[in-house]
Amino acid sequence: MVTEEALSLTPRSWLQALAKGERKRLLGAAFCGVLAGSQTIVVVVGLAWLIDQLVVHDQLPVTLLPIFSLLVGCVLLRAAFQWGHETLSLEASLLIRQRARVELLDKLSALGPVWLTSQHSGSLANQAVEHIDALEGYFARFYPQLRITLCLPLLILAVAGWLDYLVALFLLLSAPLIPLFMALVGMGAERLNRDQFVAVSRLSAHFIDRVRGMTTLQLFGRTSDAQQDVWYATDGYRRLSMRTLRLAFLSSAVLEFFSSVAIAVVAMYVGFGLLGYIEYGPSPSLTLFSGLAVLLLAPEFFQPLRTLSQHYHDRAAALGAAESVVNILNQPSLVSEHRYETPLSDRSAIELTAACVSYPSRGQVIGPIDLTVRRGEVVALSGASGSGKSTLLALLAGFIAPSAGEYRRQDSHFAWLDQQPCMLHGSLSDNLRLANPEASREEMVAALQGAGFGPLLAQLPEGLETLIGERGVGLSGGQAQRLALARIYLSNAPLVLLDEPTARLDQETEQSVLAALLELSQQGRTLVIATHHPAVIAAAQRHLTFEQGQLVEVIS
Amino acid sequence: MMAIYRDFRPWLLLLVRRRRRFLLGALLVLITLLAGLALLGLSGWFITASALAGIALSLGLPARLDVYVPGGGIRFFALARTVARYVERLYNHNTVLTLLADLRYRVFGYLMRLDDARLHGERASDWLSRLTADIDTLDNFYLRLLVPPLVALLGVVAVSLFVAIWLPGVAVLIAVTLGLLWLMATLLAAAWGFSQSYQQVVDQQSLRRLVVDQVQASAELMSYQTTRWHRAMIASQEQQAFLNQRRLGRKAALINCLVSIITGLMVLAVVWFASLVFTKQLVTGPILVMATLIALGVNEAFIQLPTSFIKLGASYAAVRRLNALTDDSSPSVPAVPLPEGVGLSVQVDRLSLHYSQTLEPALNGIDLQLPAGKRAVITGNSGAGKSSLASVLMGRLKATQGEAMVGGVPVWQLSSESRANHFVMLTQQVDLFDASIAENLRIANPAASDAMLWQTLRAVALDRWVEQLPKGLATAVGEKGQQLSGGQGRRLALARLMLCNPQVVILDEPFAGVDASTAEHIAASLDKWLINRTVIFFVHQVSSLKLLPGVEYRWHLDTGKLSQCPII
Repeated sequence: MVTEEALSLTPRSWLQALAKGERKRLLGAAFCGVLAGSQTIVVVVGLAWLIDQLVVHDQLPVTLLPIFSLLVGCVLLRAAFQWGHETLSLEASLLIRQRARVELLDKLSALGPVWLTSQHSGSLANQAVEHIDALEGYFARFYPQLRITLCLPLLILAVAGWLDYLVALFLLLSAPLIPLFMALVGMGAERLNRDQFVAVSRLSAHFIDRVRGMTTLQLFGRTSDAQQDVWYATDGYRRLSMRTLRLAFLSSAVLEFFSSVAIAVVAMYVGFGLLGYIEYGPSPSLTLFSGLAVLLLAPEFFQPLRTLSQHYHDRAAALGAAESVVNILNQPSLVSEHRYETPLSDRSAIELTAACVSYPSRGQVIGPIDLTVRRGEVVALSGASGSGKSTLLALLAGFIAPSAGEYRRQDSHFAWLDQQPCMLHGSLSDNLRLANPEASREEMVAALQGAGFGPLLAQLPEGLETLIGERGVGLSGGQAQRLALARIYLSNAPLVLLDEPTARLDQETEQSVLAALLELSQQGRTLVIATHHPAVIAAAQRHLTFEQGQLVEVIS
Repeated sequence: MMAIYRDFRPWLLLLVRRRRRFLLGALLVLITLLAGLALLGLSGWFITASALAGIALSLGLPARLDVYVPGGGIRFFALARTVARYVERLYNHNTVLTLLADLRYRVFGYLMRLDDARLHGERASDWLSRLTADIDTLDNFYLRLLVPPLVALLGVVAVSLFVAIWLPGVAVLIAVTLGLLWLMATLLAAAWGFSQSYQQVVDQQSLRRLVVDQVQASAELMSYQTTRWHRAMIASQEQQAFLNQRRLGRKAALINCLVSIITGLMVLAVVWFASLVFTKQLVTGPILVMATLIALGVNEAFIQLPTSFIKLGASYAAVRRLNALTDDSSPSVPAVPLPEGVGLSVQVDRLSLHYSQTLEPALNGIDLQLPAGKRAVITGNSGAGKSSLASVLMGRLKATQGEAMVGGVPVWQLSSESRANHFVMLTQQVDLFDASIAENLRIANPAASDAMLWQTLRAVALDRWVEQLPKGLATAVGEKGQQLSGGQGRRLALARLMLCNPQVVILDEPFAGVDASTAEHIAASLDKWLINRTVIFFVHQVSSLKLLPGVEYRWHLDTGKLSQCPII
């Protein structure tokens, strides 16, 4: 059953849980980032020292060669740490995405066919592919950078303090401002990103809405108007968003301002200090070395924060994607996770005892139902649409767990066929392996022939390896249904559940499908068929029907 | 190379149309970069000059330093960088959104010309789901792939020329190093990551198909207990994608490392060579420091380049998809006019339609004659070819053999305007737009008055329902008409047709999802509206001729073959 914890996932908590799984790599990435940053500190301080020696102390370049080579080493070391930072966060992001995808696909399985048919498969695929990939930037860039931003400025502050405590004090005074600005930038950027995200997706929806209705627009000769409309909508959005952006971009301007002002203030302070205009604190002891070093450190102090704000849109994208994924993860699972108990009687295929089905949103839909189906029986299930026969079939299939009562069946596989058989993107043999991955080619051919697909197979030059569907040969409804029948032949499943198997077929195909079904029952398989069709009902041994929500047996 | 350029060309031309905006945006980015470099360089110059003057003063030597001009300059550049950054972001964002409007307009223009086979083919959901993302990829082209390399290049030129005033040798060093770096960060990165970033998009597509399979085949996978088998296929596809992405990511990391090493070493080289000049007293200390700091700061222009360019293959994939969608291979035929003021007959002779991917023809040797002003019904199961036949009759699909003629003119050769003016069709899949009820109705006739809208709503028995809605005609129907039931949506679409005045009417399942008494009401209003029009009903089964008033012809369609039936 569904745990409370699973239901209370929020986008943030989900992202945190994902990060926890790769904590070591992510922290390693942040650590490498800090080390790379510390090499930058060494390089700029070393440069300041070199220049001081050259310009003030009139050293010859050759005598400073050891320092030059030391700095070359630092540059190489910095690149190595950068490599570590990038590859570790890349690896973490890849693994996290893989794990998140598994989690989502597991959830889709647990939600089962009943829930999935009410959804748009394209948008679910979007979430499993694009939305999961949208988490990349958050884990590969934002998350480690946030940790770097918490450490690196402190390190720079310490070095600056050692060089000149007034400059460090100036940076320190702005330090309490950093969380403030982070929050400010964060809020600004976050709101901006969220608003943008919403507006952009609404705009895309508008565009897709018009494209989707292209047939209708063409039929009424309104395509040109719609094209104008598309332009005006996007342009209207541009004008609207420019108004909010004027404010929102201020937050990034503030950061730019701070790092510029830091350079300017430090330059003025150091310059006047070196000229001897300032007689206060450490100023008289300023040298070109310490002055130049703090000048170069000042912008580095703000650099991690600037980088972080550049990655803020990664966070917004990840939160947006996480929200839609979490929506699915929070759905209560419908499929029973338990194994089925075996029927009390050896001769029964299916036993229902006071079984009920209820949906979270609609309450109890059917039940209580008592039903025993013996092995080898052919049972027709009829009733008006919406009476509950599809729900009963879903219960028998295990697509929904009973909310009350008991359901016992042999816990083995069964065959399923509905009015629109699903074709996988792949070859004929892939589609047959869906029923039995270990089937040999001979078995596949035999199954196809049994289902009346033989003549068609003979026409296909590539035989079983013919691609079908979007990337290959299109099958008509009847051909698809025969292929689905072949799956049943191939599976040897003792129980076959069928939902309106002949509803979409023309008369000729319908006859042959019906004949094939009856042959299945002669092989000793148990068939339960939900159907309207009198011929099918007549061919069945038993006929159950829903009348006013009650399942009753029709005795002919 | 040429093929890649050819694919990008039409879209680059679209961007170039906005070249004034483009160049101005790039100029603003350049100003931001140069203001930052000037701030850093001038600060270094000032500090060094102060230090030297301070030492001279402390030794009692005469020294003069004007502190006001450099001080003012430092403050000016600090402010200029901030302001330029702000203006640049605002301006370029505006450009990006303007381009988005241009791109969507252009793509929509291409899509307008697609026929039914392309619009509703099996691949339709595939391209529709990628469409906005692909357009966004092109949109990002401007800010990621056009402006930054231009600015980097101009920055290198500006910096080299500036340094060359005092240190020509060092300027050559900077120009050559950064020039090569520029080539590496743009062209080399693009070439090196091209196939992998292209593959990344292909992998995404394959993974998408597998997930769609898992969702659509969930019943089969569960019943045959083959979920694990299918998940193993997904896992192996993912693993392949994973390896590809790792390879691409490592390449990007490597290029970033190289950029960092080259810029770092270049700064050291600048110090080294400048100091050699300095020892010869050919250049002053402050200038040496300024050159060094400018060389240190210019790397900012290169940091983002490799990351953007290594993904060029992904942009290429998007461009190719858009090109495939929008290539107009159908030859344009001169439009033939329809005879005016007379009723239009429908005539089809030995017509066949064969979709390129199917084994059997969708329509096979169809013969059909319907005199002007008469009504016919064509029955057939789903998949029998009804929608294909309807599309061919409306000139929305070209038959493989034979021709559909309306009023003695081949429909395929009519202009889209004259088809829209003379024909209407209720499609099997009804399109409602995310707009109000009134707006959805006025798609058929923008000039329709409210009274006309109410009249047609009455004809389909939706008037009572709309009346009791708090917003009435202004009620939004939601995306894909989700706020309405299937039957209501269909009736609204039917009402929409009645705002037109066509000569040929095709109604595909007009009563699907409508209860019996409402259907009779609608049939009665249809009967009146259909007078003097040539009409074909497509239905699953003829349950009652009362619903199809005035029908004098009847055909049955079975797996693409049409046969005449008696009227019951």
